[in-house]
Order: sequence, then C-alpha cells, then structure tokens
Amino acid sequence: MFSKIAVNNVKRSFRDYSIYFLTLTLAVCIFYSFNSIESQNAILELNKNPIFHDSLNKLITGTSIFVSFVLGGLIIYANNFLIKKRKKELGIYMTLGMPKRKISKILLFETFLIGLVSLIVGILLGILVSQGLSLLVANILGVNLNHYQFIISLSAVIKSVVYFGIIYGLVMIFNQYTISKYKLIDMLHASKKNEEVKLKNAFISVLVFTLSVILLVTAYVRVLETGLDAANTELFITVIMGVFGTLFFFFSTSSFFIHVVKKNKKVYLKGINIFILRQINNKINTNFLSMTLICLMLFLTITLLFTAFDLKGTIDRSLEGNKEFDASAFLVVDNESEDPRENDIEEYLKDINFTFENNEKYAFYSEYKLSLTIEDLLSDYLSEQEQVDLVKDYLGGPMSAIKLSDYNSILEITGNESIQLSDDEVLVLSSYDNITDALPEFMENEDSIQIEDKEYTIKNDVAIEKNIKANLDSDFFYLVIPDNFDGDLELESTNFNVIYDERYFDESEERFSTLFNDMWDNKYRDVSPALVIGNTLNQIKDRQNGMAAMVVFIGLFLGLIFIISSAAVMALQQLSDASESLGRYKALKRIGVTERMINKAILKQSFIYFFAPLSLAIVHSIVGIIALNDIFSFHYESIIVSTLFLGIIYGVYFYSTYVGVKNVVKNGNS
Amino acid sequence: MGPSGSGKTTLLNCISTIDTVTTGRIVINKKDITNLKIKALEEFRSKELGFIFQDFNLLDTLTAYENIALALTIQNMAIKEIDKRIQQVAKKLEINEMLNKYPFQLSGGQKQRVASARAIVTEPSLILADEPTGALDSKSSRLLLDSFEKLNREFNSTILMVTHDSFTASYANRILFIKDGRIFNELIRGNDTRKEFFNKIMEVVTLLGGDVDNVL
Repeated sequence: MFSKIAVNNVKRSFRDYSIYFLTLTLAVCIFYSFNSIESQNAILELNKNPIFHDSLNKLITGTSIFVSFVLGGLIIYANNFLIKKRKKELGIYMTLGMPKRKISKILLFETFLIGLVSLIVGILLGILVSQGLSLLVANILGVNLNHYQFIISLSAVIKSVVYFGIIYGLVMIFNQYTISKYKLIDMLHASKKNEEVKLKNAFISVLVFTLSVILLVTAYVRVLETGLDAANTELFITVIMGVFGTLFFFFSTSSFFIHVVKKNKKVYLKGINIFILRQINNKINTNFLSMTLICLMLFLTITLLFTAFDLKGTIDRSLEGNKEFDASAFLVVDNESEDPRENDIEEYLKDINFTFENNEKYAFYSEYKLSLTIEDLLSDYLSEQEQVDLVKDYLGGPMSAIKLSDYNSILEITGNESIQLSDDEVLVLSSYDNITDALPEFMENEDSIQIEDKEYTIKNDVAIEKNIKANLDSDFFYLVIPDNFDGDLELESTNFNVIYDERYFDESEERFSTLFNDMWDNKYRDVSPALVIGNTLNQIKDRQNGMAAMVVFIGLFLGLIFIISSAAVMALQQLSDASESLGRYKALKRIGVTERMINKAILKQSFIYFFAPLSLAIVHSIVGIIALNDIFSFHYESIIVSTLFLGIIYGVYFYSTYVGVKNVVKNGNS
Repeated sequence: MGPSGSGKTTLLNCISTIDTVTTGRIVINKKDITNLKIKALEEFRSKELGFIFQDFNLLDTLTAYENIALALTIQNMAIKEIDKRIQQVAKKLEINEMLNKYPFQLSGGQKQRVASARAIVTEPSLILADEPTGALDSKSSRLLLDSFEKLNREFNSTILMVTHDSFTASYANRILFIKDGRIFNELIRGNDTRKEFFNKIMEVVTLLGGDVDNVL
C-alpha cells in the first residue's frame, strides 16, 4: 500500500517537479562524464606519462569531492523545497491517521525511487555525453583517434553510484528530521505567507543603488589597473568591494527600478506591468542574498570556462617558437665541484653508457650566467613596477649567455648557416617581445651593451626569436658572446640538443624518452651524482597538452556544476514563488485578465529573474576577462564554446521554469 | 438571495461568463452573451462587467491606487484618463486618503471600498457582487452598502449582489429568491422604507427555510 502511494507520488513528481529531476539527472550525467575521463582512449595515450596520470587522477578525485559537496547542498536545498510544497499532502495523511513513522517510510521509499531513476538515466546520459567529451579531449590533446571506441567506464559508474548514494542517503536523513519536526496544524495551513519587502523607501533605495554602482565601478577600475595578482593584498580589497557592490546592487536594484519605472507612466500603466513589476520587486527583494550568490557563481563560471578554453590556445601558441629540436637535456652544474664527471654532460652520458646513433644529429653546448641582469639591461625602458614584476615572474635575474662556437654548432645541426662575431660584438636571442615592449624599444634605440667595463655592439636590430633548445618554458633571453669573452662568467649548465632523422623518428623518440624518464626516476644516480633533466619535444607537447586538458576538464566540470546549481536554485525559487502567488494570479483572472496576458507576465518575470544575475555576471566577467587578458589572450572559439554551454543549460532551465510556473498557475485552484 | 447550494454563485458565474450555460440565453445590454467568441467575451468581461468579491480579491503586492489602475490598464486605456478616473472614483468612495497604502494597511471595510472602486472605475453596465459584506462587521457593511446606494444613484450603475444576509438585501430595489436552482419568489421594494422591506424579506426567508413538509 505504502509503496503504491510512493510510486504514484514519484510518477506525479516527474510531471510536477521536472526541475528536480532535471537537476539530479544532469548532475549525475556530468559527474559520470568527468570521472570517466580516466578510461578514455586519448587519456590512455597520455597515461604513459606517469606524472600526468597521477596528477590527473588526484585532480579529478579532489574536484569530485568538492563537487559532491556542492551537489549535496543543492539537492538537499531542492528536496527541502519539495517537502515544503507537499506539507499539506503529508498533513492529510496524518489526519487520516497515518503515523509519522509510516509517512517517513513513504518519503524514504520515494527518495530511493527518485534516486534510482535519476542515477540510471543520468549514467545512461553520461555514457552518451562522455563519447562527445572523448572527441573534445582528443582534439585538445591533439591525439588522433584512429580507432574510435565506445567506452563505458565501470569505475566511473561505481563512483557515481557511491557518491550519489551518499548524497541521497543524506537527503533521506534530512527528510526524516524535517518530518519529525512538523506539527500537523502547520502542515495543513502551510500555504500563504507573504514575502516581506525589505526596502520600500525610495530615497534609501536610490542611495544604496548609487553606493553599489560606485563600489562596482571602483572595483572594476582597480582590477583593471592592478590586474589579477593573487599575491597582491589590493586584490583582496577589490574582491570585497565587488562582492558588496553586487550584494547592494541586488538589495536595491528592484526598488530603485520601480521608482524609475513609476516615473515613466507609459510603461508603468500598461497592461499588467504594475503587477509584473511588483512581483519582481518582491522576489528580488526577498531573495537578494541568493541572487548575489548566483551572480557571483555565474561570474566565476563564465570566467572559468573562458580561461579553460583559452589556455589551450595560449599553449598552442607558446609551442610555436619551440619546435626546432626533437630533444634537449641539461646538467645542472655544481660550481663547488671540480670533478668534470659531475659537471659535463658529455662525461655523464659516457658514464651511463649512452651513445648517439649515427642518424641522430646532436650538439653539446654550455650555458653561462653574466653578472648583468635583465632588469638592469632594460632598466631605461621599464617602469619601477615593471622591473619588480619581471623579477617576480622569474623573467629577470642574471642574463644567460652562450659562446659563439657553441651557438654555431647548434645552428649547424638545424641546417642554418654559422654566424661570425668580432670580439666586441654580441647577438640577442629572446622571446621577450611577447612579454614586454621594453625589449623591442631597447633593440631599436640601443646599439651596444655595457657588460662590466666593456662596450659590446649588438649585431642584430631585432631579437632573434629562436630558442636554442626544446624547453617546457617558452620564455628565453640569451646573449651570444664571443668565444674569448673576458668578463665575469659562471657556468650554469651543460647541455645537448638532438635532431632525429625522420626515417628513424620513432626509434629515436623511444630511446630518448626512455632515457629522460629513467633520469627523472633517478635510475642513474648511483652511477653519476649529476642532476640531468631532459625532455623530448613530444614529451613537452604532451605535458603542455595534458596541462591544458586538465585545466579545461576541471574548468568545464566546475563550470557546468556551477551553472546547474545556479539555474536550479533560481528555478526552484521561481516555482515555489509561483505557488505562493497563486492567489494573486487567481485575483487577476477574476478581474478579467486573460490567460494570454498572464502567460506573458510569467514569461517576463521568469526572464527578468533569470537574466538579472546573468547580466551583472556577464559585466563582471567582461571586466575579469580583460584583467586576465594580461595572462591569456582570448580568441573567439572560447567565447563561442562557453556561450554554448552556458546558453543551453541556462536556457533549458529557463524554459522548464516558465512551463512549470505556467502549469502551477493554470492548474492551481487550491 | 437563497440558501447555500441554491445556485446563486452559479448564476453569477454564468452572467459573468466565467461559466457557460447549457441551455437558455443571457442578454445584457441587448447583447446575447451566450454565443460570443472568446475575444469578444474577454472584451465584454473587462468592459461591461465589474466584480466585487467577498474576499476583496485585492493584490497584496500593489497599493490601492495600483489595484484600481490595474482594471484600467488591462484595457489599455490612455494614461491621462487613468489617473483622472481613479481620482474621481476615490473621491466618491472616500478612499482618496489611502490610495498609496497597501491592502495590509487597510481595514476590511476600506479594502472592500477599494475593491468597489476597482469594479466601477471601468464604468461597467453591470456590477456583480458576490457576498460583498460577507467578511465585514456590521458597521463596515453599512458604510459599504451606503456607498453602493450612492453608486447606484449617481453613476446609474446596476449592481447585482448575491447575499444570504437579509439586512444587506434590504438595500436592494429588487430581490430574487432562488431555491434548488429555480426562482422561488421575487420582491420589489417600490416605495417601502427599508424597515418595511426588511420585514417582507424576513417573511420570505422564513418561508424558504421552513419547509414544514420535510420536517414531518
């Protein structure tokens, strides 16, 4: 009998509480999709790299735990709405003599059923979505999926079931607690409770609104001036200003707006605009706190999605000037030690019995540090703040130098012609054109560099943007100095570069990646104490793509969850508000307002309610993204993709809310 | 007038076009409203009819002024006209002092007067009042009924009122008694004083309620 009631309730819930199901199912779907990442083909390719594998797993697990907290909160919140809505129904059970224990049982069974259905549907949907995600991953990682495979990740299924099982379990406990607290009288008379409009005074609303605008504008200006530097305490103040600005904005905006619209009689006294305005005023005014939260969450989401997608582009570009060598390695020189075995990479390779194949072109060279620093060199063209920033970003410090003969041997293996330098000439190799305008200005205006007491002529007019090795870090700044340079030089590292023969590319790649992985795992430490680190170009690409992939995954994962949470909370608030406003709609109908007008009013309300926080969030994001622009440069792809995700999910919630509210108003004759 | 279940509200619903008739015709202002199209019906409802309800039916989120204005704005009336009419009506019903108050700041009688203002502001040919004094104390009832009389005299508005309170009914000019869905009796005030009319009503009510045959 009870299970029959529960099953019927669930059936009815599917219709009435579509938002709840939508949220649960989407949550499970997204949760599954992202956790299935590990077993995707493209990732399996990358998983050969142990560092990547570990960090990806850790990141996804960590994010999953965080996300399950967010979702847990959301689901309990949504569930609470439903229980409140059903107070009367539960009250009737009680007047019929059903003990609370049995009511709890019904609810327990209902939660179980809802959970089961949403889990199954969500996982099935997730399996579909994860195929699409798989293609996206392949695209990001630049992996060709020659053999496309339909993947079902068992571990992700288990994880979803366990995590959501725990959440549903909490919901059950929560329901029991709520029911045990209810009194029968309250349950039967649960309807009718008017929201209190908190801000009615016109003057104060204008004042608070003005204050919020001032706060927001100041925050925008500050963030655009100082940029997004987490180490800067100024940023913290800016964030606080932004948060309070947003809070005040939602606290006052509707009252402020109503006073403005009242002045414009043409809008105010048209159709049932009076009613719509007052409804919105009421809602935003009572829910200003959640509106603020949602706005900030959307802001985070938009920025997150943008950044995530754009990091990929940034990394692609950073690989541009970094393609000439197939592998590079360096030995960190210990200047205390005199033993050449510890400081010369050639000796090191002999020690570990590694020899180059005949088809592999290679060059050995040494890197030195000069006494001159980069910030001193460019000091005439950098503001004081820029000098400090340069050092802080690890772009300053003593300049690196390489001797001409070494440079020429590098040029030789790349097939370039060698270069002549006289004793008082130097060459500038640098990628700093992309970082600061100081370098191109310097190159244009200065003909020589003073190192210690000696003047050296700069032979090139524009910095050469070709790195001398394959490197993870795409920024470089070298001086090529004459072989008989007699200034202060400190040996920094000994290095080699390799270029494979295309015919034996795979074999060479295998040899060097194994060598470098073994070095990373300290396999040769007992043979030679030297610290040698190397990367093949493919390893660098994989690692950077892997990083991009991780950022995109986590960004997408969090972003989607945030959007769902925000949209669901708003939808639920709208729906519960609709049933509280039923009396008003009934009153409207009775004085001759047509159904068409009412539907239009519902549409307008839902629209404004949904898009008020989104609009402010978009303004926030635009400013935030411009501020971030110093770090990433944005392109259109990321705008389109992020808008697509945001638009679809938000749109679906908006539409189902509109339909839901319409149904509540249409059928609600209670 | 009539006891519960006699069909008073059904009649009102039919006249107000909220409900449709199965047989017969309803003619208002020489217009047969039983076979109007939906659009025409909506227009008829908003232009020719005014409603007053027992529970006032005011929107709690709107001020008195806005509640009254709403009846006009849904007809897309010119803005200047709206304000003029509201001020006029408010004066007549003596509510111009409380136009900027919200319903919760008003007493029951005041609320019902605001609701009445909303009903007549569109200058309908027929005002339908469903138990307008049902939720009021006797003093407020009397005040409201006085203003109804005034409306009837000065605006020439026809008021069709449903009630089962004899005192309220005594304000009317013509009373139809309904029982089990049929017209049972009719009283016309003519030149009677209200006291005389009230006594006549009481007689009919006694007759209505005292169905002696059934008791035995």
